[in-house]
Amino acid sequence: MTEPTFFVLTALLDGPRHGYGIVADVADLSQGRVRLKIGSLYGALDRLVGGGLIELDREEAWQGRLRRYYRLTERGRHALDAEARRLAANARLASTRLRRQSPIEGTSG
Amino acid sequence: MSRLEERYRRVLRLLPAGYRRQWEDDMVAAFLETMQTGDAETDEYLADHGRPSLAEVTSILSLAARLRIGGPDAPPRTYAWGQGVRLAVLAGVLTQAVMATAGLGITLWLSGALSRLPEPASEWTLVPPSSSWQATLNVAGYAWLPAFLALVLGHRRVAQAVAAIAVVPQGIAVAVEQVTGPVPLTVTPWAMLLVELLLLVGMSAFHRDAAAVARRPWLLALPVGILAVPVPLFVAQATTSAFRLLDWPGLCCALVVVAMTVHLVVRASRPPGRTLPWSLALVLLATTALALRTATLPDIGGQVERTALLTVASAQVVAVLAVEVPLAVVAFRALRQLQPVSAAVEPHHTDP
Repeated sequence: MTEPTFFVLTALLDGPRHGYGIVADVADLSQGRVRLKIGSLYGALDRLVGGGLIELDREEAWQGRLRRYYRLTERGRHALDAEARRLAANARLASTRLRRQSPIEGTSG
Repeated sequence: MSRLEERYRRVLRLLPAGYRRQWEDDMVAAFLETMQTGDAETDEYLADHGRPSLAEVTSILSLAARLRIGGPDAPPRTYAWGQGVRLAVLAGVLTQAVMATAGLGITLWLSGALSRLPEPASEWTLVPPSSSWQATLNVAGYAWLPAFLALVLGHRRVAQAVAAIAVVPQGIAVAVEQVTGPVPLTVTPWAMLLVELLLLVGMSAFHRDAAAVARRPWLLALPVGILAVPVPLFVAQATTSAFRLLDWPGLCCALVVVAMTVHLVVRASRPPGRTLPWSLALVLLATTALALRTATLPDIGGQVERTALLTVASAQVVAVLAVEVPLAVVAFRALRQLQPVSAAVEPHHTDP
């Protein structure tokens, strides 16, 4: 799972979001590190819809346009859970080895 | 519709029509929202004078490349095209790598650096680069070898970065040499540069969705290619003056004619679905060789042996067309029989 896909799924955990809502949420979640471009977002949404990980929730009119809201499916939730566990296990591995060595400067404990 | 929206929709035309039907309006709405600043005056100004940023356009370009030059999950027709483009790019990069490596080997041999090999004949001497720009051209070209290896090993971005090392200095060198050098303006270096640029851009076809390159045959193709083409060609040109009439576009034509003939014989005994990507790749390569040959014809007019060179060039054009046209006909017929689109995946609504 790519980092943008991971963040898109994470953004949808809190409830359905429309395209721009996902962009804004991902920027927030990643503290501004991941700034999704529209081409990348819809590339990811297209795959996620195709894979059944997300689906259309509803369409709402806003400023004369239709906003499509997407929501996470049960399958998407499982995929995200599996990925989060994998990343956490990797992080734990690194942290354990780091702790065995001398503490890194500038960090406490 | 604001000017900004018009501009963005124009960029979205890069995407396949089926994809646009499904996603365009949603993409436009999301894009326009990303452009809003919260200040009414600035928003009004941007609606009129704003443009999609380079990063936005690039993201659409890479999405278009992924959708149009498809991987194994794409509809059969898109996938066949995707494989055809990838094979053509690989073959093109392989040719550059083979010629660069052989060129380096021959230069080292003639300069006496490869003492284990037999001594070169005394009349075979290195022609020193005519200018520092020519030397830059020679050295930069060697970057095609690592670029080819990176592409085959699946490091597409590295391959593009390394190929850029070959292309960018050559572009500058060609421009400077053509403008300031003693030689008159010629088409050949520009045409060759354009082909290299196409290869560099074409490497984008090796995106994340594309299947991995079959490493063993492509890696093996490098030494086989060196032994089969530049080495005998060097010997032939060094010993027989008639072979010196074969220039780079001519060599491309000759190679592509041989490859297409072998392919036509092989495909007769194989199911068309399996050979189609190679048929398409060879049609693309033959069209490029033909364009290269035709575009560089004016350069021949200025040479001493122009009658002989023009005769050889005309024969090359005829030979390429004679094999390419039948191959293109059977390839496009086979392509039409494939399914153009997969069952569209609409973002459908399901009630909770």
